[in-house]
Amino acid sequence: MTERIRESLSATMDGEADELELERVLSKIGDDTELRRTWVRYHSIRSIASGQSVDEETFPDVSQRVREALAAEVRPAAAGSLQRVLKPLASFAVAASVAATVVIGGQQLAQINEGGEPREAVASAVVGVGSPVGLINSTGATPVRASYGNQAVPVLEPAARTAYRELARQRMHKYMQEHAEHAALNAPHGLIPFARVRQIEE
Amino acid sequence: MTGLICKGWTAVLFFCAVVAAVGSGQTMASECKMEGSDAMHWLAKMSRGSHRVDYHGVVTFQRGDDMQVMQISHAITNGSSTEQMTQLTGQGAQIVRQNHPLECVHPGHHLLRADGETSAGGCGITDHYRLQVDAGERIAGRKAMRIRVDPLDMYRYGYIMDLDKETGLLLKVQTIGRGNKVLERFQFASLSLGTNSKAAANPELVHKATHPVVTESSAVAVPASRWAIQWLPGGFTATDSQQGAHSRRTYTDGLAVFSVFLERLPKKIKAGEGVARHGGTTSYTRGMRLKGKPVLVTVIGEVPLNTARMVADSLSWTY
Repeated sequence: MTERIRESLSATMDGEADELELERVLSKIGDDTELRRTWVRYHSIRSIASGQSVDEETFPDVSQRVREALAAEVRPAAAGSLQRVLKPLASFAVAASVAATVVIGGQQLAQINEGGEPREAVASAVVGVGSPVGLINSTGATPVRASYGNQAVPVLEPAARTAYRELARQRMHKYMQEHAEHAALNAPHGLIPFARVRQIEE
Repeated sequence: MTGLICKGWTAVLFFCAVVAAVGSGQTMASECKMEGSDAMHWLAKMSRGSHRVDYHGVVTFQRGDDMQVMQISHAITNGSSTEQMTQLTGQGAQIVRQNHPLECVHPGHHLLRADGETSAGGCGITDHYRLQVDAGERIAGRKAMRIRVDPLDMYRYGYIMDLDKETGLLLKVQTIGRGNKVLERFQFASLSLGTNSKAAANPELVHKATHPVVTESSAVAVPASRWAIQWLPGGFTATDSQQGAHSRRTYTDGLAVFSVFLERLPKKIKAGEGVARHGGTTSYTRGMRLKGKPVLVTVIGEVPLNTARMVADSLSWTY
């Protein structure tokens, strides 16, 4: 691992990475074990320093946490500080396994229901497409598809996850104005969509 | 496919691709629900009112703790409108759209104005939202009607809209997410009908709002014909004809709008996904390989995360 990638990793963690640095981390993280280890080390140090157990996620990337939790259980109690960070994840694993069951159930449901759902027919009529891979029906409302199923939903290591979150934030700023130009013509409140743009550019 | 040429818009001729739906001649008016027809009438009045009334005022836009204040004006001369928004807080930018012909009606407004059945054979907005008219409160000194707009599926947000009783102008709109959470709120603080005699506050920067189809994305351009969205939530339609090389597509159901951006990457990227949110806006970015080529897909819009993810997931090369 070069000094350069180490710096990129550190910048990514602090939310200060520029586009090049993010890409560097994302293209290397897949096959660089040392990079991943460094990430875990940085992460636990920072978590302890800031007094938080795990960073709050709105994003449902459960499987990686489950794996981390299981790994923490098996590992001998050498790294006491690291364990303290990972401990809350163990209870998370139980909830996650329940969630996994629900997802499998949804997939079976989707196969049974294939083609027989009236609202899906409306949605598919737009472009005419294949079958869903998952259904979520948490509110009793019309079931919605959770994934279209062209691509496997990726499981990310924490480093890549943070890098991607940062990438999504940067893309939001980069594309918001162009999105607003079209929203302003097609949404009911006129030029107001431009108020969502952080920095208007000429 | 019907098209309408919006002439005289600045110096350039724009092809205003209006109504992407195919006029199939199906008549389904009798099957459209009657319960939302009163509300639908108000939405149509709102859409027309927002284009055909002269007004100016001050509006606020709130997302969480963040509040912006803006001056807004809209005036009609010789069959075309000129609108202006000047930020009184923050950056102090001014957005101007001049000489936009009144007959240039974009797909989002077409959906709002479709009373009863649409040319595509559906019932428009009422296929995807439950509409309900209530008595409204007073907003910016004007009497208002309230329309509750609840989504019928989980692919879109809900809205509470307050419209001016007299003109149909949208006085206030709250975007409602899961658990009745208000994601963002836009509202007039003061409103005057008629043209504005006062000049707007000194802007720091003036931006002329663009008009399709000429915008160029800053991303590496990917010809539009080479990629397609295989899945859209029901009721969403393309906002422009998307001819030529384009790396962006925008879709609307009349109330919500989202855009899809595709970037070809020069080298492989670790596959993954990330999300950023602000108020009612979701930005979902997905790195993946499409037929062996690394790409970055970003869906930005006022839709729930699941919708953005499904759309990104359905992207494919078409050649």
